[in-house]
Amino acid sequence: MTSLIAQRAHWNRLRMLGIVIFGLAILLPMAYVILISLTPDTEVGGGAIFPTHIAWNNYAMMWQTVHLASDIKNSILIAGVTGICATVIALGAAYVIARFQFRGRKTFLYALVTMQTIPQVMMLLPLFVIFVIIQNAISVHLVGQYYTVIITYMTFALPFACWLLLSYMANIPVDLEEAGLMDGCTRLQVLRYVVLPLVLPGMVVTFVFSFLLAWSDVLFASVLTGPATQTVAVGLQAYIASGDAGGDVLWGQLMAASLTSGIPIVIIFLFLQKYIIGGLANGAVKG
Amino acid sequence: MNHSEAVPDETIDLQVIQSVHRRRRMAHKRNRVPLWMLIPAVVLLVIVVVAPFLVSIYTSFTKLDQYTIANWTAAPFVGLKNYLSALHQGNALGASALQSVWVSVAFSVLTTLIITPIGIIAALLVHHPFRGRRWVRALFLLPYVMPVFVNAITWRLLFMNGWGVIDRVLAFLHIASKNTFWLIGPNSFWAMTIADVWSSWPFIYLMVLAGLQNIPGDLYESATIDGASRVRSFFSITLPMLRPILALALLLSTLNHFNNFTLPFMMFGTPPSPQADVLPLNVYVTSFQTFNFGLGAAMSMLTLILMMIPAFFYIRMLRLGEATS
Repeated sequence: MTSLIAQRAHWNRLRMLGIVIFGLAILLPMAYVILISLTPDTEVGGGAIFPTHIAWNNYAMMWQTVHLASDIKNSILIAGVTGICATVIALGAAYVIARFQFRGRKTFLYALVTMQTIPQVMMLLPLFVIFVIIQNAISVHLVGQYYTVIITYMTFALPFACWLLLSYMANIPVDLEEAGLMDGCTRLQVLRYVVLPLVLPGMVVTFVFSFLLAWSDVLFASVLTGPATQTVAVGLQAYIASGDAGGDVLWGQLMAASLTSGIPIVIIFLFLQKYIIGGLANGAVKG
Repeated sequence: MNHSEAVPDETIDLQVIQSVHRRRRMAHKRNRVPLWMLIPAVVLLVIVVVAPFLVSIYTSFTKLDQYTIANWTAAPFVGLKNYLSALHQGNALGASALQSVWVSVAFSVLTTLIITPIGIIAALLVHHPFRGRRWVRALFLLPYVMPVFVNAITWRLLFMNGWGVIDRVLAFLHIASKNTFWLIGPNSFWAMTIADVWSSWPFIYLMVLAGLQNIPGDLYESATIDGASRVRSFFSITLPMLRPILALALLLSTLNHFNNFTLPFMMFGTPPSPQADVLPLNVYVTSFQTFNFGLGAAMSMLTLILMMIPAFFYIRMLRLGEATS
């Protein structure tokens, strides 16, 4: 008995050690980023690790050096609309696939999965060409508009969104819906009043992942957005580009701006952590 | 339906007739597939994926560059020339496509191999309840939750030559010189790998955590009664039970790493050193900096063909029909 207790204590100590090691590995780089974000630019490349004084100034200057406020606003708009539209469209598609047998159902599923494996960089140029063709045909400017990049992200978010919602749909008993139909509801009403409340957690997860996809993308944003619509990921590149051009990278401001653009995402995630791990578990196990 | 047929003729009254009607109407409703709900998804896929894909195939056989892009359908047809030059020389700025293939394969396989044990260990650490577990779980997600471009900038900072914290620590420990040059030259491959491992291991962690929840607890109980040690039950129970989800996680991780553009792009800028010139980055530079669109398209077709190997196994593993019926 004592040996069992001793063994348990031993494993607990080992676990604590493991957690501390992981914690340090995660937090030390982040702590360094925070430190640099508070270091005056003149001291970043210097000999000392710690700055002589804390430069809160970096957090004030970053709004002027790049168009951070407008970039963040664009990111929120683009990622938010992407998240909402992808979730709604995926909900319809997932519902039809989960509940009905029809010709082309399997093809559609395979298309979704295959899409996840296509390198995005491959779609960039032809997509650009197609937008230009449409642009010339209907003489409306597409490249540099919000909706162009939103449509693109929406489509790339679709496979995962459908997949997640499909696994939630599979858990809703068909009887519930039939009862609704029996009482004279239309399909759309069944979807609205029976299915929707039950897949709401799944929709939250879907929204968050679509939002993240749009927020984190650099590839499409750098080509499909213009100065007025650029996202924060593109905006931050301005700092680095100044270094590539031979100037000094304003590391302090860059780190302050990176943290500012990353922290909202972290907060969203931590708030919805329970849903997200559950949702992933659901989707993954189903797969 | 059997129920309504079983009703004897003489007992048919108004109510039953109504009920039959209602059932008929319902059956009709049930069979009518609301395909219109699928239309938005299909239209999007066609415009954003299928059409560009076809354009890409066509482009890969033409000599499309910045001069012919304005009238792209008129670009001269060159047959397989782009594919041949993709394999031989690549673009003027960076590595050849063939070298990029090796960099990408090495990068995606290596990172997946490294993050797998890390992710499993992390999941095991927080699987059993203890005080503060919620916070530890949240902490473990942090690198994954941070947008990749932020992580890339972070590691660019850490790896800066001369004054970056990694060079300083290495110099302090007398392991390497202060001027190791992580971001250019041969070391850039390792810088990229380290940065990627740091930001992507929670993916395996999440998948394993999900898998652990599905292992029945009594398996461990009977193992303990039989006198199996914890290490033994890990190798005899946990690992075999995790196999399906691990296989899926490894495949997805390999695919994601192969397509990772953001991390090397933000860490090294363009063009990167040949040692870190992964295929997506090479395609990007070829297409948008040397404006050799035909060659870029050919290179992406080669990427796609290569990706079909893991993709094939991935699709097989999902067993599409069963998962959704």
